[in-house]
Amino acid sequence: MTGRAKLIGQVAALACVAGLLALLVWKLTHQQHAPPVGSQAPMFSLPLLDPGPDPTGDDVSLSAFRGRGVVLNFWASWCIPCKSEAPVLEKYYLRYGRRVTFLGIDYHDLASDARTFVDAHGLKFPMLADGSGDVTSSYGISQVPETYVLNASGKIVAHLAGPISSSEFASAFRAALKEVS
Amino acid sequence: MTWRFLAVVAAALALAGPAAACAHPHTSLSFLEGQVMCPTCHTTLDQSDSQAAEQIKTYIAQRIAACWTAQRIETALVANYGQAILAEPSHSGFDLLAWWLPIAGVLGGALILALAVWRWSHGRDDEPPTTAASGLDEETERKLDDLLAEMD
Repeated sequence: MTGRAKLIGQVAALACVAGLLALLVWKLTHQQHAPPVGSQAPMFSLPLLDPGPDPTGDDVSLSAFRGRGVVLNFWASWCIPCKSEAPVLEKYYLRYGRRVTFLGIDYHDLASDARTFVDAHGLKFPMLADGSGDVTSSYGISQVPETYVLNASGKIVAHLAGPISSSEFASAFRAALKEVS
Repeated sequence: MTWRFLAVVAAALALAGPAAACAHPHTSLSFLEGQVMCPTCHTTLDQSDSQAAEQIKTYIAQRIAACWTAQRIETALVANYGQAILAEPSHSGFDLLAWWLPIAGVLGGALILALAVWRWSHGRDDEPPTTAASGLDEETERKLDDLLAEMD
C-alpha cells in the first residue's frame, strides 16, 4: 500500500472515531433533566385528549396561560398511583380552578383508555395528549404521576415527583397553589 | 329461571363475540409483540411486563380479535404514540438511512478489504527479492562466503 493511501486510510479511521465521540458527547449533553425550581418551564403545544366535535382544532399552548398560575399534572391511565391521585386533583381543581389553570398531560397512553380514565374519575380540567412522550421528556419525567406548579410568569414554583395525594407531597402542593393563586 | 338462562346466554355471547367476529385472524399477538415497542421501557413488548406494555398488548389482542391486520394495528399505534412505537424504522424518508447505511458500511468495508488484499498480493509479486534463499541479505551472504573461503 502506498504512503498516500495509508494516510487516507488513517485519516478516515480517525474521522470515524471522532464522529463516534461527537455522537457520544451530543447524547450526554442532550439528556433530558427535570428543569429546576425557579427556572422557566419548557414551552409546549399539545392536542386536547378529547378534541370534541372539531378534531382539527388547534393545539393547546402553554404560552396561552401566561399571566396565571398553572398546574401541570403528568399522568397515564395505566399508572396505578394516578388512580388514587385523580379525585384529590379534581378536588383541588374545584377549589382553585378559577384562579389557577389545571392541565393534565396524558403520557404514553392509548387515547381511548385515557378518555375512559377521565370519565371514570369525573375529571373536569383540560387534558392534553402526549402520546409520543416528547413534552413529558422535556420535563425530565420518566415515571408518572408528577406535577409541576408554575407561577404567572411561567417559572417553576414546585415540582412534585409523586402523587400529590401522598402525605409527602400534599402540603407542598397546597403551599405552591396558594403561592400562585 | 328464564332470567338466569338469558344471563348465561348473554355472558356466553359476550365472551364468544370477539372470536366469532374473526374466525381467521390476520396476525398474531406474538408476532406484533416483537414489532412494537414498550414506550416506557424502550424494549419490545415481548420483553416487557410493565403496565404500559400490558395496556398495549390488550389493545393489540382486541384488535386481532376484531380481524385487524398487523399493518392496520401498527398504523393505529403510530397515530397514538408516534413512529417510535415501532421496533423497526419505516421504509421511507429519513428512516431509509437506517436500512441503507449498514449495507453501505458492509459493502464499503468489503471494498476496502479487497483493495488492501489486492495491493498487498501484487506488491509482493513486484518487489525485487532483497534477501537470498538462505534468508540472509546479500552483504552478509558475501561476507559469509569470504569467511568460509578463508577457512578452506
